[in-house]
Amino acid sequence: MIHLIDELKVIPGVIGACIVDSQEGLKVTNLPAIFKAERLTLVGKHLQKLYSAGRMSFDDLTDITLNYDESVVVARALEQNTLIFAICDPTFNHNLLTMSFNLLDEEFKLGNFAKAATVAPSAVEEKLTVAAQPAEKLISGALQDLFAAMKEELGKVLGPMAGFIFDEVVEGWVEQGHPDFSRIEELVEQLNQEIADQDKIDKYRQLISSTLKNFQKG
Amino acid sequence: MATAKDFVGRINQIDGVAGCLLVKDDGLVLGQTLDDPEEVYSTLMQISSGLSENIMSSIGFSYCQYLSFNRVNLQNFYVFPIDKYWLGIVQQENCSVAFMLERVSQLIGRVSTGGPGPVS
Repeated sequence: MIHLIDELKVIPGVIGACIVDSQEGLKVTNLPAIFKAERLTLVGKHLQKLYSAGRMSFDDLTDITLNYDESVVVARALEQNTLIFAICDPTFNHNLLTMSFNLLDEEFKLGNFAKAATVAPSAVEEKLTVAAQPAEKLISGALQDLFAAMKEELGKVLGPMAGFIFDEVVEGWVEQGHPDFSRIEELVEQLNQEIADQDKIDKYRQLISSTLKNFQKG
Repeated sequence: MATAKDFVGRINQIDGVAGCLLVKDDGLVLGQTLDDPEEVYSTLMQISSGLSENIMSSIGFSYCQYLSFNRVNLQNFYVFPIDKYWLGIVQQENCSVAFMLERVSQLIGRVSTGGPGPVS
């Protein structure tokens, strides 16, 4: 199954894809490990609902596309309970992806997916691990607003992956101690390590400096 | 500030737009140039708004610019969030989609900048 979605990843701008079954959850993914299995499963379920709602209005619905600031999500139902979705850079080639979805749909109808159903990528295995308490539940409302602003600014530096990287770093930061503004420099330092480019680190510092100052002033 | 009717009328004049409607987040249709929006479009827009936000928060994206329902007949349906409102647009079959989306985004940007929303 994995080779079928690996072909999608070759398309310029496609970060990766995954297939979700409404009953079995995440079946396969080739998205970077930063996309946690439980989150992809959740997104898949929301997309299935959205697709069903669309199908009720439009009999000839093919795909649904959600254009976010950093990324585009394109989803298609392969059968009643199974949906594939790709996460792409905003500059991706939509026509090429649609064509590839059509080919993949054919493969699915030929039963090629079932033969490889035992393939279990790392992200699927992660589903078996006990999910930690979401970091956002531990963070105060004011700090969450600050983080939303910091995440947005990180998008200007890192592009489509910024949101995921930010969430990952925040999760790690929360595990290391009490989520308080007094530890904000630790968080910035950890983000800098992810940015890993001095020019971009400087730019990010510049972008968030007024936000941090305003927060400190209250 | 434009009224809902003005706004919908201007959107409708954009090349590539077959029809449109503006819906408040409580489901109230404020203006439309489509037939039977209550049954086909407005309900879908309400459902879409919630689910697109759920996806946004689940995966960590920051803002949904628009979503689209792509159809075999190419009359794709687009949904744009504008503050507390949702703009739905039906695309003409043969049109420059990129041009249409750019013009729609420009107009949305004009009415939603520095104000509470496009309607009064």
